[in-house]
Amino acid sequence: MRWLTLYLRSRRVPIALTASAGCTVVMWSLWSAFSNARDAGVPMVILTVLLLVAAVTATLAGPDDSLERTAALSWPARRAAHLLAALAVVVVLLLATLVTGARFGPAGLVLRDAAGLLGLTALGAVTIGASRSWFLPLGWTLASLVFSVSGMTSSEILTWQAQAPSNKTAAITAALLAAGGLIAYATAGPAQRAPAEAAL
Amino acid sequence: MSRILRIELRRSAALGAVLILLLAGAVLLYAAPQRWSSGWMSLAMIQREYLVLLWPLALAVGAWQARREHRSNVGELFASTARPRVQRMVPTLGAMGIAVVCAYLAVAAAAAPWIIDTAGYFPATVFVVAAVGALALVAAAWLGLAVGRLVPSLVTAPALAVAGIGLLMVIPVAVRRREWLALVFSPMYGMGQYTDYQTVYGRVSAAQAIWLAALAVAAAALLASGSWRTRLAALLPAILGAGLAIMIIPRNDEFLANPVDPVAQEQVCAEGSPRVCVSRVHSGLLPEAAPLARQALALLAKLPNPPTTVHEDTTTYYPDTSPPRQADVVLMPITVDKNGHLARKAEIVPTMLKAAGANTNGCGEIPSTSVSRAAEYWLIGREPVTEYAHEPAEDNAEAVKLWQGLQRLPEKEAAARVAAVRRAALACEDVDGLLTRSAR
Repeated sequence: MRWLTLYLRSRRVPIALTASAGCTVVMWSLWSAFSNARDAGVPMVILTVLLLVAAVTATLAGPDDSLERTAALSWPARRAAHLLAALAVVVVLLLATLVTGARFGPAGLVLRDAAGLLGLTALGAVTIGASRSWFLPLGWTLASLVFSVSGMTSSEILTWQAQAPSNKTAAITAALLAAGGLIAYATAGPAQRAPAEAAL
Repeated sequence: MSRILRIELRRSAALGAVLILLLAGAVLLYAAPQRWSSGWMSLAMIQREYLVLLWPLALAVGAWQARREHRSNVGELFASTARPRVQRMVPTLGAMGIAVVCAYLAVAAAAAPWIIDTAGYFPATVFVVAAVGALALVAAAWLGLAVGRLVPSLVTAPALAVAGIGLLMVIPVAVRRREWLALVFSPMYGMGQYTDYQTVYGRVSAAQAIWLAALAVAAAALLASGSWRTRLAALLPAILGAGLAIMIIPRNDEFLANPVDPVAQEQVCAEGSPRVCVSRVHSGLLPEAAPLARQALALLAKLPNPPTTVHEDTTTYYPDTSPPRQADVVLMPITVDKNGHLARKAEIVPTMLKAAGANTNGCGEIPSTSVSRAAEYWLIGREPVTEYAHEPAEDNAEAVKLWQGLQRLPEKEAAARVAAVRRAALACEDVDGLLTRSAR
């Protein structure tokens, strides 16, 4: 328990949790205030997922990863658990809105996008570092949100975030990204950074 | 100062910003080249429309850059130097501004080779539209810098981008029927292409430029200010700019959605006779269009008093305009394909010969399909075929019957009847029965 507390604190999880909850509340209030529909629009849901994933991104690296690696602990299992917990936070926060007056759903879309984007972020954390890992998820999601097309397999893969929840191609793409991110992050961990950038 | 700016350009996020914005912009443009292949104005406007993605990205780039001091743990060190904050911020502002302007121009440059051979018309408005687009990116990057410095968190940049795209998507809905208001505050609104002759009014561009410049100044002031009092004062230019822009923009009766540039619609003629003219915006396609137009005129020459000139059909639906109906002019539809060349070449001559080449735009009622088609195929010299996938089958059957009737007649009488159809269609009169009864 002591280890967990210290770990969560070193990864700035309390701030990230506050930020995610804050983002959810803001998006939820915006939809409640400005729309009469009970179900939030799909772009709104996708943007909220993207925000929450960006909010938990900050926890993917600690203040000194090189030091962390020297500890005689089985990091792969812990890193995988960290990612899965992050996914749970994002999904639970949004699923909690399903019982309120402004529903951010459907659950399938939330789960697919959260898993895929988190996997993409984890891949970014492994390759270009946690502080830059939101670049690709952000750019890709915004682009696919504005120019989503369905019908062709290639365009469905390219705009998987904005496809209907029942779309198989998008689901497979998200699953591949999620699995790839999970495996890469669990085995390799966050990218090594220059000492000057050590404090995120 | 210029030395520091050079260092800043190399050591800041400037280079990365150029690459990201260039990649995003070029991919969007080349994903659908048919949207902008018709000319320089289309390219400038579609590039403005794609600010829907580039504008939020520029916000994120600014916010990311503003976190540099926080990231490197030098905030305290820099605060202890005896220099004004402004002096430290100007090179950063300059580097980010140069970067996003270069990126915007580079996207245009990446698209230019695609249409450089076929696009003929280059109005000065193109520069104005592009300049407002570049200014929008500068304002976004500087606003990102200011917000990123106020809230130096890792989430600021993505959250700002999400807020930016959310704003651009919400503005058109939020203004309801006051479209002019959306035109002031959204740099991408109203830039979709309904026709190839579309333009942006100078007053609209002026209002947008005032608002964006004011926003950029406010953001720069916000970035350079150290106390809450000066930060509050930094809002002043933004408020003033918004007020001024709202005063300048045309609205209510003066406002026109998707305005048409009359100069772009003017007819430009090919050398030689018979006269073949296309609109100025399509003048690069004249060598491709002229042979087809002359082929249609040659087929029409079977008629007594045949038309002698071809003009481009410059009909637009938003707003609703059509060229005048003239007896000696046949209209030619011109559409541009994704490579900038004449599209659907095989359909052009048959379309020109519909209703024996009469211009029925703006008549209210379109002439009967079967009569119009029978006349068209008598001129071409083969049996009528179905042209639209969803048309009623009896339309073509009727056209074939009328066509067979014309074939059985002596050449002169058939020509007189087809000419009667042409006259009636030009006068917006009913053409039914004109092919079956004697022309005299």
